Amino acid sequence: MKTLIINKKKYELDLKGHETLLEVLRNHLGLTGTKTACEETECGTCCVNIKGKAILSCITLAYNIEEEITTIEGLSEGETLHPLQKTYLETGAAQCGFCIPGFIMASKALLEKNPEPTQEEMDYALDGNLCRCGGYLRIYDAVIQAGKEMKKLNDQEPRNIATCKG
Amino acid sequence: MLLKPFSFHSPTQLAEAATLYKDLPEVRLLAGGTFLLSNLKSLKRKGLKTPKNVLSLKRIPELHGITADNEQLIIKSMTTIDELFESLLLEDNFKILRTVCRNISTQPIRNMATMGGNLTCRYTWTEMPAAMIGLEARLHFLNGEGTESVLSAEEFFKGGAKTDKILTHVVIKRDKECSIAYRRVRKSSNVDIPLLSLMIKTTFSENRFTNTRVSVNNCVTFAQRDIILENFLNQNICSARITEEALDHLDKTIYDTRSNEYKQHMFRVSIKSALNELVQNQKNKNENSHYQ
Repeated sequence: MKTLIINKKKYELDLKGHETLLEVLRNHLGLTGTKTACEETECGTCCVNIKGKAILSCITLAYNIEEEITTIEGLSEGETLHPLQKTYLETGAAQCGFCIPGFIMASKALLEKNPEPTQEEMDYALDGNLCRCGGYLRIYDAVIQAGKEMKKLNDQEPRNIATCKG
Repeated sequence: MLLKPFSFHSPTQLAEAATLYKDLPEVRLLAGGTFLLSNLKSLKRKGLKTPKNVLSLKRIPELHGITADNEQLIIKSMTTIDELFESLLLEDNFKILRTVCRNISTQPIRNMATMGGNLTCRYTWTEMPAAMIGLEARLHFLNGEGTESVLSAEEFFKGGAKTDKILTHVVIKRDKECSIAYRRVRKSSNVDIPLLSLMIKTTFSENRFTNTRVSVNNCVTFAQRDIILENFLNQNICSARITEEALDHLDKTIYDTRSNEYKQHMFRVSIKSALNELVQNQKNKNENSHYQ
């Protein structure tokens, strides 16, 4: 049995060793938010986050993972969307939407490290994700806006803790 | 199912991994997985034979990390390209590795791909070999009996990058005096089909090129040195005209492997551009020291 921690939940899975994380997420656990497309590292639709980094689940062996995995399903808290989900919606960044979970996970990895990325930094961090609708400009808008939102939330956090203590 | 079944092994000790690698039949090493897993899928699609055993190196602590002191930089083989890119230890001649890493593939791949995988996967178009030959890196291996061995990057790639041992780490000597330029050319900005990696390292002494090392990966054969160009540069002073003249002193066997004229032209453009950078930087340095 293999234990995987996905979106803060523990799963005990009977894995043989050759299953990719993508297969496990979609076929074993029904977490179909992570998309499957090229399956050979070109498109980025299968991106998930591990240790705060964007990882391609199509070339990751599930058995080889020790760390916590975050998928697109793990971003919202109940009905409350993650800032990235909100801004991707608000800016109309999603056209057909197929690439968006991968883009959001790659954007999350970027913004958690750097909430105010330059265009060059966005190009660099999102260079592994392809949008077949060509909606890159709105995707960049969404990332910039989400960055601002996340920075605001991060700046507020210490004050909230202080209030609780008081 | 994306992959054909295999037995998966994930040792936590280096010695155990080396023994397993020696003893297991039809075994492949798994580092970052970016080459191996794509390759295994491709073999499955083509109906070709796939390995019976996959040996992951991920859980072996001795294979992770980067260290540096006054003398050298040590990059453990499971260090990812992104970890190397972000390392604060990349100073002096090591700084060029940031440029090399930056030019590798895409962000998720840089997050996953490892130094060891890039050097030992035996694809002729990877980026690190030219950089490692250029930086005179030494590759350290461990065999199944627990014996360590060391090979220069140049020797390793001359031998076709073949090994039945585990690459444990790479050692690069610190050099505060040298100047380095690196170029990587891809077929288009969107699709990462590499045409060339090139590193030129030299030490300017009394404004002359000395100890120059030109390492080229033409992406058809394994990375190698252009000794004809090195010898030419080492006889010359640093000047703008050298960038033109150098193009008449190339080891054509390296560059003619590309049949397409455009690709051959790209080699010349890149060599010229890399030399221009070195010459310009040296000129700026001379001017600054003059004003001081």
